[in-house]
Amino acid sequence: MARRGVKLALDRPQLVAYAGDEPSAFAQMLGGLIEANVKANSKKRHDFDSLSARVGVWVTDIDEGVSLEFDSGRLTVYNGLEPRRTITIRAEAETIMSLSNLKIGLFGLPVYYDENGRGVALKLLQGKLKINGLLPNIATLNRVTRIFSVQ
Amino acid sequence: MAVKAFSSDWAAQFKDEINKSSVYKAAGKGWKWTVGLVVEAEPNKHFPESRGVVMDLFDGEAREITVGPASDAQKCDFVITAPYSRWKQVATKELDATKGMLQGKLKLKGDLPTIVRYTRASQEMTECTTRVPVEWPDEA
Repeated sequence: MARRGVKLALDRPQLVAYAGDEPSAFAQMLGGLIEANVKANSKKRHDFDSLSARVGVWVTDIDEGVSLEFDSGRLTVYNGLEPRRTITIRAEAETIMSLSNLKIGLFGLPVYYDENGRGVALKLLQGKLKINGLLPNIATLNRVTRIFSVQ
Repeated sequence: MAVKAFSSDWAAQFKDEINKSSVYKAAGKGWKWTVGLVVEAEPNKHFPESRGVVMDLFDGEAREITVGPASDAQKCDFVITAPYSRWKQVATKELDATKGMLQGKLKLKGDLPTIVRYTRASQEMTECTTRVPVEWPDEA
């Protein structure tokens, strides 16, 4: 896969890289969040090291998004949606923040029965949270959720 | 009565609003870090010097909020920086703070997982700012 002008994050050269010269604020925020999560938690690190997928995240109310290319222990963050994505998540900013607050429960599965989880599940049912590629990639989505979650 | 934007009177009313909020009290449970808001100068908007709002927040309570030089706010555990007119947009509900941060309109410094964990608390804190009646220098 071609990488155009990939820049390694200055302080952590091995884990997260940003494609292009000017990563958006959203790209830096997601990249920074994932990096901090992975460094702080060995289970998240294990998920990160074993994940290969390209995940799109589009924030509908700011009309901005990123692509996260996980490559077995490396992450490249692109501004915008790159082609050939495994999963694409589309939701408003508040819902994206709720996704990152999902608790992880038994067997490493996201918890959808507490207040925040119910809110996320409801958004999914109402079509306010759309996940393209969900059905064939549930295991990948769960792994991404675990990496993304701050809980 | 309306108070001057980002003045000591404004800080006192903002603190009262936070401490009146049961939503903040619940959402801010466990929070133990200082937050600094840097309000950058915009002389053309009659806001000639940058100011810093230092917020001592602890476990769902605002213990102290003071206004001083920007350098004081920059020393806090979490620092959010934006020009005066952006903060005005936040306080008048023209700009959602979460969206503002995702768009880079409000620049955040600090541990990201912690701030994301307290999204609800920061949203309610923003709500509290909107409840303070403000006299804006560019509208005087």
